[in-house]
Amino acid sequence: MPSFLDRERTVAAPGFSRWLVPPAAIAVQMCVGEIYGFSVFNIPLTRAVGITKSVPGQDWSVPHVVLATYSLGLVILGLSAAIFGKWVERVGPRRTMFTSSCCFCGGLFVASLGVHIHNLAVVALGYGVIGGIGLGLGYIAPVSTLVKWFPDRPGMATGLAIMGFGSGALVGAPFGVELMNHFKTAASVGVEETFLVMAACYFVMINFGAWIVRVPAPGWKPEGFVAPTRAGRLITTAQVAADEAIKTPQFYLLWGVLCCNVTAGIGILAQASPMCQDMFGVTPVVAGGFVGLLSICNTLGRFLWSSASDFTGRKAIYVVYFLLGCALYCMIPFSQRVGSVALFVAVTCVIISMYGAGFATIPAYLRDLFGTVQVGAIHGRIITAWSMAAILGPQLVTYLSSYQKAHGVPKGEAYNTTVYIMAGILLVGLACNLLVRPVDPRHHLREA
Amino acid sequence: MKKTPPILVLLAFLVVALPLGWGLYRSVKNSMPLFTAGAAPAAAPAAPAK
Repeated sequence: MPSFLDRERTVAAPGFSRWLVPPAAIAVQMCVGEIYGFSVFNIPLTRAVGITKSVPGQDWSVPHVVLATYSLGLVILGLSAAIFGKWVERVGPRRTMFTSSCCFCGGLFVASLGVHIHNLAVVALGYGVIGGIGLGLGYIAPVSTLVKWFPDRPGMATGLAIMGFGSGALVGAPFGVELMNHFKTAASVGVEETFLVMAACYFVMINFGAWIVRVPAPGWKPEGFVAPTRAGRLITTAQVAADEAIKTPQFYLLWGVLCCNVTAGIGILAQASPMCQDMFGVTPVVAGGFVGLLSICNTLGRFLWSSASDFTGRKAIYVVYFLLGCALYCMIPFSQRVGSVALFVAVTCVIISMYGAGFATIPAYLRDLFGTVQVGAIHGRIITAWSMAAILGPQLVTYLSSYQKAHGVPKGEAYNTTVYIMAGILLVGLACNLLVRPVDPRHHLREA
Repeated sequence: MKKTPPILVLLAFLVVALPLGWGLYRSVKNSMPLFTAGAAPAAAPAAPAK
């Protein structure tokens, strides 16, 4: 492996502008965040044989495609982030980003081969497993680097990076659609060629990030920055190792915070289109517009709410996410009763903005409690909460609404029980958040 | 001490802002039907309110 990738080669020289690191982080996150927009491939992949319509017995079904790509990818993302977190801290962001590009783009290449030979297991191996490892590496490397560069504004820094991941759908989905339209013929839906072109483009973009990324020199601090030391605040100046962090109750409380926040949000996000159609009778085109709007709120919320947490404190902002989220969830059935699409859209947009914000604020919360030394590794382990929520949330909404419809509940009211359950999940998250206290000093690294 | 030229920072942001801006434009364009259909009768509840 060339030394250009070594951590030592990425240590910033004096005079380096830390503002070059956010675009590096966004470049990587925007590419791996493409998984959020993967749904544009669902229907074409189910018509790989029939082209204009799905051929029963030969073509794949949507649930199988989603399981092999989106769900598997998110599960492997969490696992790889947890497993490779310490390695990421050791080798630095450049080698990690390069490895991420090889895995993510290599995975797309293998998935393209899977589409070509029409073998879903190969698609799952490519996009779900190999690509999923790239996702995990690409997700955590820029975040831990940014946290170290912006000790004065960690919420804003992680918000910027994770906003990049949220924007993956904004860019990846229309990019995928444009490419499929370009490549489709009478004999092909154009997915395999699209995967290849996307792999090449993402490889260039991720490695652009790897090229410009730097880590701060040991002991570096922004000009005029004084670390807060006020007693009683949840911001530590000590350091906790990743292996020690998982022995603390704080780790599991934050795991619960993330899991509850994501479960509640992802349930709505995954079912946004049918929910809007069932509750208000809007057309699929209008519902599609609603999903697009949610993507924008999901992206912007990551930056705005997380930046606000630098002023309010992390614990306080999560209280807002959970309490406000709970109140807004309870308003969804009301919006349906009064037939107000505008109210429904406004409420869900704020909910989804806080769903994204939950992701963006968690690394800053970890940094506050555990310090910066192994924040990437700790972040990687806590991401397993996302994998759990990615399975729980959509299943809960789909199962409960189907159950209600099957038992004669009108379509428009079939989601009421679900949203109240989601509100309850947010209250569990609130309880976890309120229980968070500073980490016991016996867990601190001695040399800190 | 060699300082990073501000133009380099600007260029780096442009590299990511261009695809992002395009994606944002496409999403806003796609979400327009939501607002144009807002006042239409299609927005009535699917089921009668109890």
